[in-house]
Amino acid sequence: MKGNFKAAAALLVLALVVPILSQCSSAEKSATAKPDAKATASAPEPAPLKVGDKAPDFTLPDQNGKKISLSQFQGKENVVLAFYVLAFTGG
Amino acid sequence: MDSSPANRAFAKQIGVTFPLLSDFNRKVSKEYGILNTEHGFANRTTFVVNKQGIITHIDKDREALDPTGAHNACSLMAHREAEQKK
Repeated sequence: MKGNFKAAAALLVLALVVPILSQCSSAEKSATAKPDAKATASAPEPAPLKVGDKAPDFTLPDQNGKKISLSQFQGKENVVLAFYVLAFTGG
Repeated sequence: MDSSPANRAFAKQIGVTFPLLSDFNRKVSKEYGILNTEHGFANRTTFVVNKQGIITHIDKDREALDPTGAHNACSLMAHREAEQKK
């Protein structure tokens, strides 16, 4: 329970900060839970992204099942993309 | 990587007002180079992406817990945009 609370508090901070970032829309991408059997250990690691790189586009379902793409914000809004490990399960 | 239903429950619980996306198959975490293949989870990371789709700021691990860096990056972009409009 303690872990859950910690994760929720951290996310809340983000939720509170986002409205202040008037120029930034926030796409919160949560991460993880069940380790699946087909792990990705054998796949080669892509080079980590750096400042100045183009952010790879993606399409992922949000909490309501609506598909959200990074490209839909292009030319319109700045985006804060927060990868949150174990957002629901606590971490 | 939580499933959409798990995220929905979480979003409701904490009252988020922004999209909470699910990277259940870890494809995007991998593309962004932040998947820790040792335990299969993504590392906590915040990316700030400008309107042109370019990454302007990255916070990793402990830094990503503090939104100050991302906030400053956003303020800077807003400032630059305002300057360009002048």
